[in-house]
Amino acid sequence: MVMNLISTLLRRVLGANVRLLAVGSTAPAFEVLDQSSVVRKLADYRGRRLVLWFYPKASTPG
Amino acid sequence: MSIVGVSFDSVESNRAFAETQAFPFPLLCDVDRKVGLAYKACETANDAYPRRITYVIGADGKIEQAIETKDAGGQAETLGRSLLS
Repeated sequence: MVMNLISTLLRRVLGANVRLLAVGSTAPAFEVLDQSSVVRKLADYRGRRLVLWFYPKASTPG
Repeated sequence: MSIVGVSFDSVESNRAFAETQAFPFPLLCDVDRKVGLAYKACETANDAYPRRITYVIGADGKIEQAIETKDAGGQAETLGRSLLS
C-alpha cells in the first residue's frame, strides 16, 4: 500500500518512462508460442528491426 | 522491419483474434508473463493485462524506442509518428 503510493508518486515526479526499459539497453531474450503454436524467439529477428507491441487483450478494440 | 504483438492471452484466444483481424504478423501468447515482466509491461506474474507499451528493437538487439500510451489509438499514432520521423 505504502510502496504503491511511493511508486505512484515517483512515477508522477520522474515521468512514466522511468518504468520502461532504457533506450540503448539490450532487449531481453524471449521464447514464447505464437497464435499458431510456433515458437518465436527474439534471436529470430536479429539483424532486423523489430516492433514489439504489447496489447491488453485479444478481441478487444485495444 | 518485423512486428510482433504480445498479450497474456492463450493460443486459442490469440488465434481467434488473429483470424478475425487478419493481422499480417504473429501474436505472442505470453501466458506466464515472462515477456511482460522482462519488458516491464507488467509488475507481477499475476497481472491480468500488460500495459500498452511498444518497443522498437534495433537490428543490433538494443532498445531503440520505448513508448507507452494510455489508449489504443494513441499507441498506433505515436508509433507511426516516431517511425516516420
